[in-house]
Amino acid sequence: MKIAFTAKGTAWESAVDPRFGRTDYILVFDEESGEMSSVDNRDIADTAHGAGPQTAKKLFDLNPDVLITGNGPGGNAEAVLKKAALKMYAGAGAMTVKEAYEAYKNGELKEF
Amino acid sequence: MKEIVVISGKGGTGKTSITASFAFLSGKDMVAADCDVDAADMHLLMKPDFAHSEPFYSGVIAEIDKETCIHCGKCAEVCRFDAISIINGEYYADPISCEGCGYCSRICPPKAITMQEQNVGDWYRSSTKAGNTMIHARLGIGAENSGKLVAKVKNEAKAEAKQEGKELVLVDGSPGIGCPVVSSLSGADLVVLVTEPTLSGLHDIKRVYELVHKFKIPAACIINKADVNPEITEQIKDFLEQEKIEHIADFPYDENFTRSMTMGQTIVEYEDAGDLKDKLQASWLKVQELVATS
Repeated sequence: MKIAFTAKGTAWESAVDPRFGRTDYILVFDEESGEMSSVDNRDIADTAHGAGPQTAKKLFDLNPDVLITGNGPGGNAEAVLKKAALKMYAGAGAMTVKEAYEAYKNGELKEF
Repeated sequence: MKEIVVISGKGGTGKTSITASFAFLSGKDMVAADCDVDAADMHLLMKPDFAHSEPFYSGVIAEIDKETCIHCGKCAEVCRFDAISIINGEYYADPISCEGCGYCSRICPPKAITMQEQNVGDWYRSSTKAGNTMIHARLGIGAENSGKLVAKVKNEAKAEAKQEGKELVLVDGSPGIGCPVVSSLSGADLVVLVTEPTLSGLHDIKRVYELVHKFKIPAACIINKADVNPEITEQIKDFLEQEKIEHIADFPYDENFTRSMTMGQTIVEYEDAGDLKDKLQASWLKVQELVATS
């Protein structure tokens, strides 16, 4: 499974970004290889409008199986993400990436 | 650190008057943020000093370089906003009509069109008469609010609260349900909905609550001018009960709202505000209780 996180930094200890569209980074953890990679999303955070759908597009290219975020995507981004075979989990806005991953593993996050 | 966002869906419900009163009551304990940037007016009541200001850039518009332009007219052909005209024989992109889509720049054969970032206004870090820091912004004529500007104002407010060691950020949220509101709500711990018993008041609180609910943010509600239409007030109460939204208080229609405003005062400062002051104080206590457990 490939698991994507919206995050304020690139480390396991980084805080999950409660924002979806304007998240600073997208982290992708590949459970099989045990590798964590990151994508800088700050160029999109800097656009005036349509940040949600653009971040959704980026996520589409990364093609993760699961997304873990804070509040969850807004309406426009959600419409795009629904077309992807992606499970979305929200409610991790006050956690670190590591805590969010553990909460997800323990079934403590709500599906969006 | 906790973040309270006050929104209304509909304009004119008393959202900013109530937010400013809360900000005044809270005084030094918090950092205030005005994210209602399209028609920012919280500064009229909070009297900020505009001590620190920075320009804010958002969006792009087309600019045609006369020297490079070969007058082929392809830009005017593809522009869907009729923003390109010929003035004195030169192609010109009207900054008001241009939406910044970049189509012209992409197809221009000699690459004479660049998309220029726009300085749309300024944002400020101020000290207010209540003794707290307030982050706010002012847009230029014709400029519009954006999720980006709201995110900027909120992020600055949070950074300031962190630096000052404050535990609370109070946000006057944006109107409507679009991009700026999505941005206002992201990361909030509690939403205070201010509504009024009119058809549009009821319609808009339902509409904006869909978004709050989707984001799973706890919500509470103040019904302002509740005695103006008791029938719709009951319908709002039914809605609150059905959605398990905490009903904080009903405020009566009271002209002291406007009187204090014209004096440039928050309601809680206004001498003759009477009962309304107590109601606001009680409501603010309730809001603080709610956010403590959120």
